[in-house]
Amino acid sequence: MLEVNGLKKGFGSGSRRLEVLKGIDLKIESGELVALMGPSGCGKSTLLNIIGGLLEADSGSISLTEFEYGTYPPSRVVDVRRKGVGWIFQDFHLVDRLSALDNVIFALELSGVPSSQAESQAMDALRKVGLSDRMNFIPDQLSGGQRQRVAIARAISGSRPLILADEPTGNLDVKSAEGILNLFKELCEDYGISVLMVTHDPNLASKADRMLLLRDGVTAASDIRSAWGVGGNP
Amino acid sequence: MDLHYQESHRPTRSMTYLEAVKTGLVKTGDFRGRASRSEFWWNFLDYLPIAPGLVIVNFFYTGALSDLAASLGNGLFTTLIIGPLLYLLVFLQLFLFFSFTTVTIRRLHDVGRSGWWLLLSPTVLGLLVIGFFLYLEGESSKNKYGAVPTNAPIEASMGEIISAIPDNLSMSARSAWIGRERVLAVFAGVFLASLVITTVLAYSAGLSGAFLQFSLQEEIFDGKVDFAEDPDPDSEGRTNDSTLWESTCSELIEMEEISDCGLVFGRQGVRVNGFFDEGGIIPQPLNAVGATGTIGDWTNVSWDYPEAYDSGPPINDRRTIRFYGDGIWDGDLGERHANRVIYGSWPSSGEEASANRSIILPSEIASKAGVGVNDTIDTLTFSYTYDYLGFASIATGFDDCPGEEYFNQESGYLYCQVNMTVYDLKVVAVYQEGGAGNPTLLFNPIMVSDSVLTEDQKLTLMTNDHGYLGIAIDRNELPASSTRAATDWLDGLKGDIEGVNYTSGNDIMIEYNDLISGTIGFLNIFLGIISVFDYILMIPIVVLSFSVLIYGLVLSLEQRRREISIHRVIGGTEAGLTSMILRELAVVGVIGWFTGYLLAMASVPVVLDAVGFMAFERSDFRVVPTLSGLVTLLIFMVTVGLTLLFGNSRTKDFLSIEIDEGVRRVATRKKSRLWLHLIIFFVGILSFLESWIESNGGLGPITSSGISSNFIVDGLLFLFGPFFLWIGGALVLGRIGAAGPRIFTTLFGWSPVLADIKRGLKGSGSSESVNRLAIILLLTLSIVTVAAVQGYTGTLVDERTTSAQTGADLQVQFEEPVSQQRAMQEVTLAIQRAGESEIDSIDYVTSVGDIFTNQKGEGSLLRTWILFEGHENTLQWDEQTIPGDDIDLVSAQWSSFGFTAGSSARSQLDISTKDIGSNTTIEYTSYSFGGLDSDMNPIITTTVTAAEITYMGGHRWVPGLQSSEANQAIVIGEATYKELLGQTAVESYTSNRWFFELCDETQKDCKDALKTLGVEISNGVGVASSSNWGTNHEANERTGGLIFGTPGLLSLQFVVASLASIASAFVFLSLVLSQRKKELAILQAIGASPQQVLRLVLFEIMAILLVSMGLGVILGLAISEAFNGFFGVFGFIFQIFLGQSAPIDRDLVWPWTELILVNASVLVAVVIALLFTTRRALKSDLAIVLKGE
Repeated sequence: MLEVNGLKKGFGSGSRRLEVLKGIDLKIESGELVALMGPSGCGKSTLLNIIGGLLEADSGSISLTEFEYGTYPPSRVVDVRRKGVGWIFQDFHLVDRLSALDNVIFALELSGVPSSQAESQAMDALRKVGLSDRMNFIPDQLSGGQRQRVAIARAISGSRPLILADEPTGNLDVKSAEGILNLFKELCEDYGISVLMVTHDPNLASKADRMLLLRDGVTAASDIRSAWGVGGNP
Repeated sequence: MDLHYQESHRPTRSMTYLEAVKTGLVKTGDFRGRASRSEFWWNFLDYLPIAPGLVIVNFFYTGALSDLAASLGNGLFTTLIIGPLLYLLVFLQLFLFFSFTTVTIRRLHDVGRSGWWLLLSPTVLGLLVIGFFLYLEGESSKNKYGAVPTNAPIEASMGEIISAIPDNLSMSARSAWIGRERVLAVFAGVFLASLVITTVLAYSAGLSGAFLQFSLQEEIFDGKVDFAEDPDPDSEGRTNDSTLWESTCSELIEMEEISDCGLVFGRQGVRVNGFFDEGGIIPQPLNAVGATGTIGDWTNVSWDYPEAYDSGPPINDRRTIRFYGDGIWDGDLGERHANRVIYGSWPSSGEEASANRSIILPSEIASKAGVGVNDTIDTLTFSYTYDYLGFASIATGFDDCPGEEYFNQESGYLYCQVNMTVYDLKVVAVYQEGGAGNPTLLFNPIMVSDSVLTEDQKLTLMTNDHGYLGIAIDRNELPASSTRAATDWLDGLKGDIEGVNYTSGNDIMIEYNDLISGTIGFLNIFLGIISVFDYILMIPIVVLSFSVLIYGLVLSLEQRRREISIHRVIGGTEAGLTSMILRELAVVGVIGWFTGYLLAMASVPVVLDAVGFMAFERSDFRVVPTLSGLVTLLIFMVTVGLTLLFGNSRTKDFLSIEIDEGVRRVATRKKSRLWLHLIIFFVGILSFLESWIESNGGLGPITSSGISSNFIVDGLLFLFGPFFLWIGGALVLGRIGAAGPRIFTTLFGWSPVLADIKRGLKGSGSSESVNRLAIILLLTLSIVTVAAVQGYTGTLVDERTTSAQTGADLQVQFEEPVSQQRAMQEVTLAIQRAGESEIDSIDYVTSVGDIFTNQKGEGSLLRTWILFEGHENTLQWDEQTIPGDDIDLVSAQWSSFGFTAGSSARSQLDISTKDIGSNTTIEYTSYSFGGLDSDMNPIITTTVTAAEITYMGGHRWVPGLQSSEANQAIVIGEATYKELLGQTAVESYTSNRWFFELCDETQKDCKDALKTLGVEISNGVGVASSSNWGTNHEANERTGGLIFGTPGLLSLQFVVASLASIASAFVFLSLVLSQRKKELAILQAIGASPQQVLRLVLFEIMAILLVSMGLGVILGLAISEAFNGFFGVFGFIFQIFLGQSAPIDRDLVWPWTELILVNASVLVAVVIALLFTTRRALKSDLAIVLKGE
């Protein structure tokens, strides 16, 4: 479903140039929950940003369902963000003054879904994340975990096949974090949505289907065991 | 654990002198903490000799600088550079005083006392108490002011501290440049505040100067220098040698205050001691007695000048004559004389004057005699005064009088006057007779070169005390800051002049008669009121600039909240952070202040030249606006000081909040006090209603006296109401403005353009910065509206006042009633003489007849004015005075037996509005003399005629006639007049007063032509006086509806507020948008296209803007109406002083073009700012913004 080939990205220029991604190749199947790990500054977020259409790569290609991109600037991959990937951030990034429901509907409407349809889709999405009783609350009235669920609802509402989560549990307590992870698993299993999640928490990562380790600008391992340095190939 | 917090102890060592002084200086302004005894007392010892020492040094320093300034003159350089330098040492003194106060307060802290104890220091007891505290050993444990002082010396050397200052400053400047967006807001605020305050204060000073020059333009001589003693045989300090006397001038001119001086033979020496000393009226001028010549008819000329008694004390009522020595013709005195010449030219030097045997005639004399430039006069006879007798000795008479006796009936003195004749004079110029100035030298004399006098004649005149020195002072030297200063300066000058013996060896002693301080004394009061009026008028714009400043500060600090918190996390101390911010503010503030100051200085002359709203006309007054250094210092303190104070307190607020909260988000705000805003708004609305009702003549059951008829309540309401309305209105309506997006979504939600983004507008406008944007737009745009409306209204009021006063383009009063034909003939002659191309013939002419009638059956007489057919072509009617607003319609009613009545005539006739259309009969009684009866009593037959007339409504005034008389009069048409007096009455009609329509008076060319024609016609045969639209309008522009320079202030207000609204919209938008950068990035991350984001932002901001704009203009219109009451209060005061009774209501004019223009500019600026900032927000790295780094 998602295929990344030879993705390269560097920052700066001349002697101060830093190559962060030196040719990333990876593949994610439908319904797969993948954890992306690696030491700080290794380019996890950069990779995620490029896949999510917030940053352009220097070279390489990304293929996500019908979308082919990778080196286009963010303004040219609006459709990827609308129909391809759903974003989830550590800080939730909800629109503070809108209710949970409105936050989700707004994202749909921006993608061109007519209001009435958007509303039913949004309610559907909020039900999926278990917030049907909190739809009209504004973010300030919700707990951190609930806010992150709203963000997830927003990400999945447009039937996007891939969710990108940048440390989704970084601001949550252990219990909420577990809840979010379970939700991810449900989404993967029940609806065939894939999740690519950056995390520093090995405990969380261990619950993923697969783990990718990013080291020195390349994917060093692509399954849990090898990432943890145990066993051979799957 | 730190021992200092645990145990009792005192510092183990004392400070040395150098350490103490250094600590004192470095910690100046730092009131926190404590100071040990050694630190304080060393500083005390240091300050004790320095304080008085500096006072002495400063005395010499300012003396030297003042001399330098004087030698440079009163230019911009002096004002800008020397002015501030004068206060350099004062600055230093203030700094040291402040420094010493600081250390004293810290010492008080050390003994556990508050610094407020210092407030007791002016009392002896207080000093003793404070001294005792200062002497006490400090508390030996931590108290509420801080830890026990350590007496540790400051490590950095003095050199390091000082050399760090430029580094710090340049770092501040650099950081300011990096954050120029937020800095722009602060700069705009300081700049506007400095510009406005400086302009208003400098304007006020300039106004004094201009008004002084305006008032003094009638005065040619500023001073008359006489011998100190009367001409007795044994008197001292005199000379009869006119050459010697004249040479005294060369000594006087050496004084820098005196610019010109010359010998004059004219009025005798005036030596007055005290107000009731008759010495002021006894000395006599030289009087013209007769002239002969081959050209012209001198028998036609009257040498009487009775007007002199109307304009001053009863000195003399005849035409005077002056003989001028060489000093008068050139220089300042020559220039002032030359300004009044209308034909020919003023001789440029004494040689030229004597070569031509020059004589300069007043226009009336020239006109009556029928002589012009280059005509010759064979003989000119005048009289000098040989002796006089007071009332007590008149009966005995003169012992010997070689001339004729002349008894002044008004003063009761008898004079012996002797004739003297000069020959062969040539008219070189004719001058326009001016109005009455200071009466000391009497008015409008004939002026002749003294070279035509023989030496014997000169000696005779000197012997009889007729020689004096005419002085011109350098009026630019007159302190213009206040008239008080000017009077003091003149007093000083008098002292300086009289305190010296002149012409070495001859010991001439003189008395200086000042001719202009009287004028200045009057101005004192008058200018004071004008200044107060203008200060109040400028309050909104000052408030506005401060609110821009404060909002800018708030926003800029808010923006730095994260930065500050991060600095704190990485170890910045509170003091370090505060000084970092304050340094930046100081740099920006100083630049803003100076820019505003420079611009203000340049704009003041322009402001003073304003004759109408946004209409500027160069006046003849040279005004160099000067502000004393102290005032400059004050403005600096207020603008820059306030910025720092506010920045300081705001930063402290910030630093007191939790670091974590600061990093994460904007702190929650205190709830604003809506109830307070509503109350203020309500009071404002009351003042609006009161003013509206009063100008509207009532509303429903409320009479025209308004809701409140109490004078005091009304006055207070009118004075404060407009400001309450403004501020309250902005605060309350700002909420609606901020809700603009919601309002617009409701209105336009159906549109497909909004379908995908309207949800994003939900709840928008709740953020504080958006609310501030709305408020600032309301504040600025409403002021723009007020300035434009009141400015244009004032301009119109000036025009209407002129029309009401003059009645037509030209009004001529004849000495005797004359026929229309005769009146036209005289004006046509004047038109020919004036030779102005703008006016070549009379377009229309009319008069207003004046008879007395009575209502049938009533005895009391009614003053009745008659309007002749076609009067509306000549008379400048105003819709304020007639019933209805169509003068043609009303004229038709008048000519078909209608009548209007003034207010007291209405009550006399007992009619009111409901009687309109009802008829009444008036009667006219004519008397004829039918010889004498047998008892030698006159036979008088009376004929009574009657006419039935219809009441049309009330009139307020009739153009050109006294408005007070219009109250008592009724106005009828020509038809009614004929019915009362017969058909022939119109044909044989004669009148003293005739009105003429000549050209389009609103055109400048026409105005100028009317002024020239006015001069000509007033010299016409049989003409008593005349007034013309051009001259009257000019006077009204300067002193009328808006008072001298006020249109300039309103124009300034308009320009500044327009700029402020554009600038603040720009600044605030970019701040608002950069605050929302993150939100815009989120929207893009969840799938919004750049175009959608742009549409969202554009719609939201435009909605706020358009709603605020609309509300701002509406608010402005309401404030303008409320200001009418304010203008009314001051108009009343001005009327008392100017004695004008302009019956003009301030009917507001709505200058839509200007308003639309300004609003459109704001709109364009905002759209540009929006596109610019939104594009930048869109271009920014989404990933980074979302990461929040």
